Formats: sequence, C-alpha cells, structure tokens
Amino acid sequence: MGPARSLLKAKKQRTTLTLPSDSLTKAKSIARARRVNLSTVISEALSEGLKAHAATERSEEVLALYQKAFSGFTDDELSLLDGIVLEPAARR
Amino acid sequence: MVDPASGPFLFDTSAESWLARTKHSEVLNWVRAYLSCHPLHVSAVTVLERSRGYSLLWRRAHEERRDRIESARVAYLSALGQVWPLDGAVAVVAGEIMSLLPDPPTPPRRSHQFVESRQERLARWRFDEMIAATALVARMPLIHNNPADFEAVRSAIERSPGRFPRLGPLELVRCASLA
Repeated sequence: MGPARSLLKAKKQRTTLTLPSDSLTKAKSIARARRVNLSTVISEALSEGLKAHAATERSEEVLALYQKAFSGFTDDELSLLDGIVLEPAARR
Repeated sequence: MVDPASGPFLFDTSAESWLARTKHSEVLNWVRAYLSCHPLHVSAVTVLERSRGYSLLWRRAHEERRDRIESARVAYLSALGQVWPLDGAVAVVAGEIMSLLPDPPTPPRRSHQFVESRQERLARWRFDEMIAATALVARMPLIHNNPADFEAVRSAIERSPGRFPRLGPLELVRCASLA
C-alpha cells in the first residue's frame, strides 16, 4: 500500500495550522504536480518527519545503553569485555 | 569521513566498545547518525566474547559490585541490533581463512603485570577470523580497531581469490577514519 493510500485509510481529524508561506507554496506546487490534495502532501511530510524523529530517539536510546554497557570499568576490565583475557604474569 | 547512511557495516568487538566509549564529539555524532539509519550489526562471535567478558568480571568481582556488572551486561544485550549467526557459509569461509593464516600475526597482549596466554591469543585470533568471514559473507565493510590482524586477513584473501569465489575483497574501515 502506497503512502498516499495508507493516509486515505487512516483516521483523520480536522485542525488549523500556521505554516511558513514558502513551505506552503512548495507543498501546493507538489500537490498540483501529483494531482493530490494539499492535506495529503502535508500529511506525508509530517509522517516522514515523525519517522525521522522516532529514529533519532531510538538512536539516542541505543547509544545511552551502549555507553552504560562500557562505563565504570578499568582498562584491563574493558580488555576483558573485548575478549582479551589477561592473567598475572607470575602465575605462568 | 564515511557516510553513516552508506551502511550497514559489521562492527568488530573492539570497534563496538571503542565507539561507545569515545569522547570525540565528531565520532559520537557519526554514531548517532549511523544508529538513526541502521541497527548496529555484529557477529555472534562478538556477543560470545562480550558475554564471556561480563561473566568473568562478575565471577571475579566482590558481591557489592556484581549488580553494577550485571546491569552493564543487560544494557549491552538491550542495545544489540542485528546479530549475524555463525552459519554454514561463515564456517566454510572462516575455515579457509584459518588454513591460510593459522597463527596470529601479532604477539599476545601485555599490560603491567598481566599477560595473555598463547592459548588465549590463538582463540582470539580465531574469533577475529570468524568475524572477518562474517563480514565477507554478509558483504558488509568491517569497522575495526585492530589493523595489524585484519589487514593480514584482507591480504591473505586477496592473494587467494580462487578460494573465496564470488566473495571479497574484505573491505576494512578503521574506527579513527569514520568521522
């Protein structure tokens, strides 16, 4: 299902927005070229923006988990976490 | 500079932890940009090395530190993206690499009064060969922090293309050159 069709099926709500004039002009021009209405073009752009926002949030979440996974360890302990097993030299 | 959107890439064990610990803002921004486009791809071998590391640390730690180590281990497992299995294709390619390069190209690690045994060094070398094989089979560039070992693998593969039909070259990217 294409993005335009899935937007048609989605539950809708009417609202009033104040948008920058140049963005609105570009959106109207895209709508004319694609022969769809302005709401479709703006909904698609909003949907893409929200997806990018969710991806950024997930990326911050994963980075925070990775940072937690490797913080608070000494250099020797970090070597062990990297698969390098060191033993006291005298024991050998 | 490597475009983060041009991934995905396979991350070697030490590259994964180096990137998570970096204090360089350019590198951190690269990691952020990469993670917003792709999951972090690692070999199951990396998960094995890491799990063994957390487990050994936990066993050696005093009771009061064990919760902290366990919480770091859980954070690591929760962050995991795509884990590539050691399947038949990877096993075949890793076996070829191991026959070309049976011995590690660099000596065991030393640190203050500590030393890596020859047996441990050999095991770690074999793990690196399996990770390189995974990158080759997955056709992904390998992000690494270990040029001496992985360059040896790349050269060996280049010298014997007939043993790696329809695979290669092994593309290597050093952590330091990412951002």
